[in-house]
Amino acid sequence: MLQNYFKIALRNLVRNRVYSAINIAGLAIGVASCILIFLYVKDELSYESHFTNADRIVRVAGEIKLASQEANKFSLSPAALEPALRRDFPDIEHVTQLVQERKQTVWYKDKSFNEDQLVFADSSFFHVFDYPFVVGDPNTALDEPQTIVLSEEMAARYFDDPAQAIGEVLKFSRHSYKVTGVYRDPGHSHIRARAFLSRSTHDATLDEEERTNQWFAMGRYTYVLLQSPEQIPVFQEKMDAFAQRHVIPWIKEHESDASMRFVLQPLRSIHFDTVYGADMTAPGNISYVYIFGAVAVFLLLIACINYMNLATARSAKRAKEVGLRKVVGAFRSQIIGQFIGESLLITLIAVVLALALVQTLIPAFNSLTGKNFDSNFVLQPEFLLIVLAIVVFVGVVAGSYPAFFLSNFKPADVLKSDQAPKGGSASLRRVLVVVQFTISLIMIISTIVVFTQMHFLRNRNLGFNKEQIMVIDVPGGDSTLVKQLPSLRQQLLSNPLIEKVSNANDIPAEELSKHMMLAELDGKMAERTFQIMSVDYDFLDVMGIELKEGRNYDRRMKTDETEGVIVNEAAARWMGWDNPIGKRIEYNDRDLQVIGVVKDFHVQSLHTKVEPLVLKLRPQSAGYVLVRLKPENMASTVRFVENQWQAFDPKHPMEYFFMDEHFDKQYRAEAKMLTVFGYFAGLTILIACLGLFGLASFTAEQRTKEIGIRKVLGSSTSDIVVLLSKDFAVLVLIAIVLASPIAWYGMDKWLQDFAYRTELNWWTFALAGFAALLIALVTVSFQAVKAASLDPVKAIRTQ
Amino acid sequence: MNKVANIIEAKQLEKKYVTDTVETTALAGVDLRIAKGEFVAVMGPSGCGKSTLLNILGLLDSPSGGTLTFLGQDISRASERQRAKLRKQNLGFVFQSFNLIDELTVEENIGLPLAYLGVPRAEAQRRVEEAMERMGIAHRRSHFPQQLSGGQQQRVAIARATVSNPSLILADEPTGNLDSVHGREVMALLSELNEQGTTVVMVTHSPSDAEYAHRIVNLFDGQIVTESINARKHAAELL
Repeated sequence: MLQNYFKIALRNLVRNRVYSAINIAGLAIGVASCILIFLYVKDELSYESHFTNADRIVRVAGEIKLASQEANKFSLSPAALEPALRRDFPDIEHVTQLVQERKQTVWYKDKSFNEDQLVFADSSFFHVFDYPFVVGDPNTALDEPQTIVLSEEMAARYFDDPAQAIGEVLKFSRHSYKVTGVYRDPGHSHIRARAFLSRSTHDATLDEEERTNQWFAMGRYTYVLLQSPEQIPVFQEKMDAFAQRHVIPWIKEHESDASMRFVLQPLRSIHFDTVYGADMTAPGNISYVYIFGAVAVFLLLIACINYMNLATARSAKRAKEVGLRKVVGAFRSQIIGQFIGESLLITLIAVVLALALVQTLIPAFNSLTGKNFDSNFVLQPEFLLIVLAIVVFVGVVAGSYPAFFLSNFKPADVLKSDQAPKGGSASLRRVLVVVQFTISLIMIISTIVVFTQMHFLRNRNLGFNKEQIMVIDVPGGDSTLVKQLPSLRQQLLSNPLIEKVSNANDIPAEELSKHMMLAELDGKMAERTFQIMSVDYDFLDVMGIELKEGRNYDRRMKTDETEGVIVNEAAARWMGWDNPIGKRIEYNDRDLQVIGVVKDFHVQSLHTKVEPLVLKLRPQSAGYVLVRLKPENMASTVRFVENQWQAFDPKHPMEYFFMDEHFDKQYRAEAKMLTVFGYFAGLTILIACLGLFGLASFTAEQRTKEIGIRKVLGSSTSDIVVLLSKDFAVLVLIAIVLASPIAWYGMDKWLQDFAYRTELNWWTFALAGFAALLIALVTVSFQAVKAASLDPVKAIRTQ
Repeated sequence: MNKVANIIEAKQLEKKYVTDTVETTALAGVDLRIAKGEFVAVMGPSGCGKSTLLNILGLLDSPSGGTLTFLGQDISRASERQRAKLRKQNLGFVFQSFNLIDELTVEENIGLPLAYLGVPRAEAQRRVEEAMERMGIAHRRSHFPQQLSGGQQQRVAIARATVSNPSLILADEPTGNLDSVHGREVMALLSELNEQGTTVVMVTHSPSDAEYAHRIVNLFDGQIVTESINARKHAAELL
């Protein structure tokens, strides 16, 4: 019997090539998209999962609240936390802290590279996070000062073989480090390190007070390994008393009205955390995971709807078979089984195709998403399970309605040849088409809004001119370099194609630190935290930042460095200063006076509002050298700068980037995701149109006789095309009405994630609706024109 | 053991069709007994209820009133599942429009009832072979229905109706779509099956087809108006 079903199914597939192709292609595209989305979602959710202790690790984040200010949230915590936690909670297994090191130039024999993602850690770090070591002993690797553990990737830059690295000494500008281990990159984690340096080296530079009693010095990540996941809430409760015990007395001592609390972040939640920020890696966005999950389900649903619609529409052709099977004694359940089996078979074919499609698309998908998926995933058992689930889900969802519908035919009705049943409920089909187009339209509208917003972000006036600024990334810690900066400046400026040069510690699109200061408020001094940028005299000019009032730092004013300060508009507004010039700020035990106010400019992505900012003059700032180039002959100017740099500092390999690219990089991950979303939106409309095409050809077929009679009575071809297209146009119009408010709501919510956003325009909706209508009409009219141009005599005779 | 002489007994059979606004009576109190081994022809003008009667006798449809006994078993209120079971064990159908499944070959079409009966494959193959031989269509075994003439298609249909050795064959205008030569051929086959012991009930418009039956039932407006014994058939059998 199975063989019989199988034969019938296959022969039907071959006989109705167009329908089969539509069904299988739609399902294959849907399933392939689903698999790709599954890979992406699984990847996003896989952060930290390879650490054995993942469920028992928490990071301690800090929140500092100053009297009248919203709490400042830090993923970082003070050094003093570690010894205090150890003392107060003997039952926790381990506490460990990480400190990030700046980018450094590293020398070994004749090799030198600029290395970033360097992190100070101690050996207890490897007890908490089990990094797989290729060579070396994780238990002791970082015990000694001036030791380093390398990632395989970094080790490969200096050594042919990891084993060779052990005992070798890498030279940094300030210290030298002996290699004591090489580890393999463990997989996705919010911690990203090319190398771990022994933290005792770093801690030696701190005094006792800094190490044990500076509670607002939020400079390191603190991780705690608890005995069990259940302890997390218990531990969280204890942290409030802990803060009372240690921090409050210290705050009182400093006569501050601030308060502080500690918040535990379970390790696996960190990747999606956007509240505490300042992580080593860009956070993921959990809403994209949800959105993509929903898109996957939608795509499958649309493909299923195609199957249901086409299967029931064509049911007239299968009615006789069903009738006959019943006549010879088939039970209804057997007929249902047959049709569900058939849809399972089609799904299976589609899935095989989808797998081939995924295999071919993986490289493109990798470059689109910036991920690194291996096409061997097919062999993973959990993946096969997912595929099986998809086959069963689609097979049963898509197959059940046609199966129940078809198996309900009464043989007595369907076997009389002159009375073929109408192909199922036309109104249900209409509803399903409306569902498909509503989903497609929501996705199209979203795509348009998303790209409008991305365009808006890229083109918004940032308050500074990001074009033509070449930024040289200066390796940290080399004091000789800093001393020579003025002479480098002079040499660079000798080139007429270089307009201005500045050096600064901070630039836009880099994390800024927040510092507590005392600022004048109604004649008294109040505690406030400000973002701070350390800059030189030329920073504002190079960046093209406008002064609103007051003046820029001036080399002739000797007091500027010790007594002057420039703030942004946001800071002045925040402090309620009507006349900011001359207002007082106390920072690092220095009394400063506001000498200038700059117009607000964007330091961070447009997701966040411009925050109160202090621009502090530090002429010897040396994190970056900013060079404003003239637009002409940029390539040769860049070469000139490179040559000057090499002459000036042959020891360090020069690294540079352009400010505009650097700033736009903040949106890159997001833009990638949204591009992927755009592709999937295109696919939904494609699948929906495939279905519409099939349905239109069915309708045209079914109405052949009507078309013939109309033509005999004098209808023109165009009348017929309008007649056949009208019904579908109405469905798309209904879909537009349904989709618009849903898309409006969703997109408004998405845009709320941005502090600066484009407005939702009616034309976005009109454009999407028009596009969908046009696509649908082109699809339908293709069939309609074919039917309408049929010779009427033939049309009548076919019935 | 009480031997059931009648294969079918219908008493006061009624069938009403209700659409949105109209109630149509197709059968209005039909009493009919069909004895084992009989060949009965049902005649009457279009719309008199012939096909409805045949569908009810063939357990494809259920009556709105009256009782129907099949092999001594009351099945007026039987479920679809019970009726399906009885159908596959006892009934064979032959239609005017053949109703072969287009996607199955001659061989597969004939074998279909055996598949639903769960007959083992080798046994099924043997019986399909036998049926094809009997109907003279073995040389067309792997053809699809559209590749056959009308007469050949109807022979396939008869082969399918008889392959499970049913006790009753129901034929709905079996010659309606055939020319006279092929029509006579089909009637001869049905007659032969009847002579071998199969009961046949046939709906027909054609008086010459009705000549093959023992008894002719005339239906008009859903009621039996006359019943006549076909003297010539009886005489022929006596000879």
